[in-house]
Amino acid sequence: MTEEDKLLEEVTSAEYKYGFVTDIESDTIKNGLNEDVIRLISSKKNEPEWLLEWRLEGLKKFQQLVEPEWANVHYKKPDLQSISYYSAPKAKKTLNSLDEVDPELLKTFEKLGISLDEQKMLTGVAVDIIVDSVSVATSFKEKLGELGIIFCSISEAIQEHPELVRKYLGTVVPQSDNYYAALNSAVFTDGSFCYIPKGTRCPMELSTYFRINQAGTGQFERTLLIADKGSYVSYLEGCTAPSRDENQLHAAVVELIAMDEAEIKYSTVQNWYPGNKEGVGGVFNFVTKRGICHESAKISWTQVETGSAVTWKYPSCILKGDNSIGEFFSVAVTNNFQQADTGTKMIHIGKNTKSTIISKGIAAGESNSSYRGLVKIMKGAENARNFSQCDSLLMGDKSGSHTFPYIEVKNKTARIEHEATTSKIGEDQLFYCNQRGISTDAAIGLIVNGYCKDVLNQLPMEFAVEAQKLLSLSLEGSVG
Amino acid sequence: MLKIKDLRVEIEGKEIIKGLSLEINKGEVHAIMGPNGAGKSTLSAVIAGRDEYEVTGGSIEFEGKDIMDMAPEDRAHAGVFLSFQYPVEIPGVSVTNFIKTALNESRKARDLDPMPAKDMLKLMREKQALLEMDKQFMSRSLNEGFSGGEKKRNEIFQMAMLDPKLAILDETDSGLDIDALRIVANGVNKLKNEDNAVMIITHYQRLLDHIIPDFVHVLYDGKIVKSGDKNLAIELEEKGYDWIKKEIEA
Amino acid sequence: MKLQDKLINSFEKFGQSLSGSETDSLRKMRTEGIEVFKNLGFPTTKDEEWKYTSLNKCIKRDYDFGAEFSLDIRSEDVDRFLCTGIDSYKLVFVNGVFNASLSNTTQQDKFFVSNLKDAYEGNSELFNQYYGTIADKELSMVGLNTAYAQEGAFIHVKAGAVVDKLIQILYINSDSSRSMMNQARNLIIAEDRGEVQILERHQSLSDEYVFTNSVTEISVGNEANVKHFKVQNDIDTASLVDSTFVKQGTKSTALVDTFVFSGELTRNNLHFEFTGEHAEAHMDAITLLKGSSLVDHHTFVDHAVPNCQSFQMYKGIYDEKSKGVFNGKVMVRKDAQKTNAYQQNNNLLLSDFASIDTKPQLEIFADDVACSHGCTIGQLDEEALFYMQSRGIPLKEAKAFLMFAFAGDTLKNITIPELKEQLVNLVARELKVDLELN
Repeated sequence: MTEEDKLLEEVTSAEYKYGFVTDIESDTIKNGLNEDVIRLISSKKNEPEWLLEWRLEGLKKFQQLVEPEWANVHYKKPDLQSISYYSAPKAKKTLNSLDEVDPELLKTFEKLGISLDEQKMLTGVAVDIIVDSVSVATSFKEKLGELGIIFCSISEAIQEHPELVRKYLGTVVPQSDNYYAALNSAVFTDGSFCYIPKGTRCPMELSTYFRINQAGTGQFERTLLIADKGSYVSYLEGCTAPSRDENQLHAAVVELIAMDEAEIKYSTVQNWYPGNKEGVGGVFNFVTKRGICHESAKISWTQVETGSAVTWKYPSCILKGDNSIGEFFSVAVTNNFQQADTGTKMIHIGKNTKSTIISKGIAAGESNSSYRGLVKIMKGAENARNFSQCDSLLMGDKSGSHTFPYIEVKNKTARIEHEATTSKIGEDQLFYCNQRGISTDAAIGLIVNGYCKDVLNQLPMEFAVEAQKLLSLSLEGSVG
Repeated sequence: MLKIKDLRVEIEGKEIIKGLSLEINKGEVHAIMGPNGAGKSTLSAVIAGRDEYEVTGGSIEFEGKDIMDMAPEDRAHAGVFLSFQYPVEIPGVSVTNFIKTALNESRKARDLDPMPAKDMLKLMREKQALLEMDKQFMSRSLNEGFSGGEKKRNEIFQMAMLDPKLAILDETDSGLDIDALRIVANGVNKLKNEDNAVMIITHYQRLLDHIIPDFVHVLYDGKIVKSGDKNLAIELEEKGYDWIKKEIEA
Repeated sequence: MKLQDKLINSFEKFGQSLSGSETDSLRKMRTEGIEVFKNLGFPTTKDEEWKYTSLNKCIKRDYDFGAEFSLDIRSEDVDRFLCTGIDSYKLVFVNGVFNASLSNTTQQDKFFVSNLKDAYEGNSELFNQYYGTIADKELSMVGLNTAYAQEGAFIHVKAGAVVDKLIQILYINSDSSRSMMNQARNLIIAEDRGEVQILERHQSLSDEYVFTNSVTEISVGNEANVKHFKVQNDIDTASLVDSTFVKQGTKSTALVDTFVFSGELTRNNLHFEFTGEHAEAHMDAITLLKGSSLVDHHTFVDHAVPNCQSFQMYKGIYDEKSKGVFNGKVMVRKDAQKTNAYQQNNNLLLSDFASIDTKPQLEIFADDVACSHGCTIGQLDEEALFYMQSRGIPLKEAKAFLMFAFAGDTLKNITIPELKEQLVNLVARELKVDLELN
């Protein structure tokens, strides 16, 4: 409750809150993409031979693919040769404690409101922070270690747990999956790795913050999360980037593996720099996220997308095992000139599989928001169930809202329900709030948060508060 | 407290209020009665600051200050409360969250810190009891799926929370059964004191059996055509509005 | 030679064979049409709009076109495909050629019902004003039709006129010696306040393969009212690609109802465009399929002006190896405020081998609108079945009842009792419902 108060109090400035540049000395390799760059990345990271081979295969696949154009987004394609594929804060051996972290960097985190110490003490959230491409600090490692939970950067996992990485990397999103996934396979520099052992319930929320800092770099993180039989984990991912005039590229891959009876809850609050009011700058967010559910497993994706100039993202579930469950809860807010094409794929393969899709798109300014989703019931998927609800809210008459659901059913026992609506914030709703003393901006925040309640309710508490703030902030001044 | 002088209001080029004057002092209860289409709801909306109405003449002063150019939320902060004839639904926003936001926005306008959660909770419980509302009600989405009686009780609950100087009750009795009417009237009477005022807009006399007005005004064709005490309401109920019409046209 | 090449290569000769009576503008249209077809070819599944429907099987065959087909036919063969018991105007085409003796045309002061060919020879001014202006010229199947089309229905309703009888359009294919491809073309013009109701049907009498590529243009004037019913109940060797384009003026009402019961492949492109405000469009359809029939309903409703309403109700029941596709797109353009668009697509799958692909889409650029779509795929309500069984109704009958009820509400906009009865009977027969009990 008190958080909701804070929300309204903090609605003071609509400018991008995280738009500052931290002055950290970075070790950045020369721009461009070729085999030598890949070899350089791999050697800088001291990687085993098999991984270099895997990357090179990714590069080869990438070179055979073309940039997809089917999404309902329009942008100048990034010049992939003018990007540096590796940028690490300089200095650095392995860090043992927070004290060793660059003070500048710590300041950055403070500005982000995610001071590690505070997190550690107050919330019990274990955090892995990725700035540009390198993971700088992971907290709570020891405590998790006692339970056999591995939570570290993927670079570290490659060194420490190569057998796990090798076994699962690329099994859900193969190198050849799509243009940006192939690029990521070739050049990924860091990301998070998580393994929850059999029957273990991870006692805290695991969390990663991603941030693009260095100018002219792309961020290509790779996240691999394995929940072994009967385990449970809730994973949070936050994203920010400083405001810059040029577009920055973010092409991440996230792979989730939920073994029999395991459950993974994956929540994202995406607030990459969206560009300024004129549509200059901002992050291109081209992300491939997919999870596989084995028998009776469950994967639940929750996302609140408020940032990025262009978003292209479809967190998906392959419901391979019988009785498995996939969920997708999404809020996508676009304002000014932002474009979002996002949704999910639910592939029902196993028997008695269930999926739920709740998508709320909010478009203001001259932005465009698209929902694109696929529900596919394969022939053997007896008794599959899907419920989808895709709502859009338009603010002003210059924005656009689009709904592109694909439903493919090859089994007669399937039950599918899909609904979509479009609405606006009513004048009468605003007047009612005004009459009770609530300003128009605060009223919009209130109404939009109410509209998105079904999704926000899925987020862990700390994240829900941040997400509510972001929703209000990103829509400020968009009516009246 | 409220001083309306020669007010003229149009909507889409059509004049609805045609030179209306009215003065309400603190401690008073005024009833505005009149047939459908007389301009009763327009009057309340204009006082609250709804912008689709165009004020073409006259003035509205509240506590000695001209409020014509004030935004609706600023009027609310100044102490004007309108109980809506048709309260608006806001899906996903709980009654608690809504009233908390409203109350703290008002406090902010007066440079006060937000009310501590504990105090807020206590206040809410107290007012809930006054309106005989159960706890579950507070977590429901605002007005969504509320019955007519629940909506009106919720309006008076918000009034109790916000403690306005001037409460305008627009057709609060419509859609209420006898029990709800009693609860709502009882709530208003308890909130009534020497420093605030109430303006009741109604078509029928029945609410006035419960909330006794000091003054009764008859609004007809955009003007107050007759004023009197509570007996005027009784007379109206007996003789109907045709009686007024005839008297004016005579 | 591949059908596509054959169609392209034959065009020149076809052009030469045409009588000199064709105007320059019509000839130009034909040339432009074949150019579009040449550039695009037959649609493939790589084309997003044809993702779920492959023409491959259909176009791999060889068809004759433009040849002299037998025109002999017995009138009783025709009658059983017409709505009977009702006085109507009739346009009957046998193997692509207008058959005057089986038809019942009219040329009154207030309205015309005739063959398209007669229209452009006799009323070229009106013809030129409308022909080819409503259909989307950029589509390859429209291009192909425009290149070759000669015959079809021409209906002209003058301002304020109400056509007193149902107009029935029947395309019969009877040649039992060879496969045939047809390019049927209809032009329907209802001027301001005009009213007309039309029933259209394509029917094969022989077992030879038939591939019909039909284009219909419908102009609905201000306050006019047009109802167009399509019955698609052809045999398993017949395929149909139907592209219908409706343009509606202010305060007009248009309805296109489609009833599909069989056919090898049926693709319906239905395109509505509003040019005046306060217009209303209705699209209803029932699809009841068995065997390995495929039906693909593609609707596109373009709300380009404010205050218009569109309602789509598509229902499908798929049995055996049949396949259904629904792709409904509602576009609300920037200034089309106060649009009300509703779209519903409900499907029942009865067999392990049947499938359905559905894609209801909304594209909205105006904020003050009420748009919704819903889509369901499922089975019959178990509880309702149990309830009926517990009242002594055998399961099979109970199922038929529920399916009949499921399909029934798409028949609500049919106002001609005889037509409604015939369609209800057709649906009942397909579902094996005993109407005596209803």
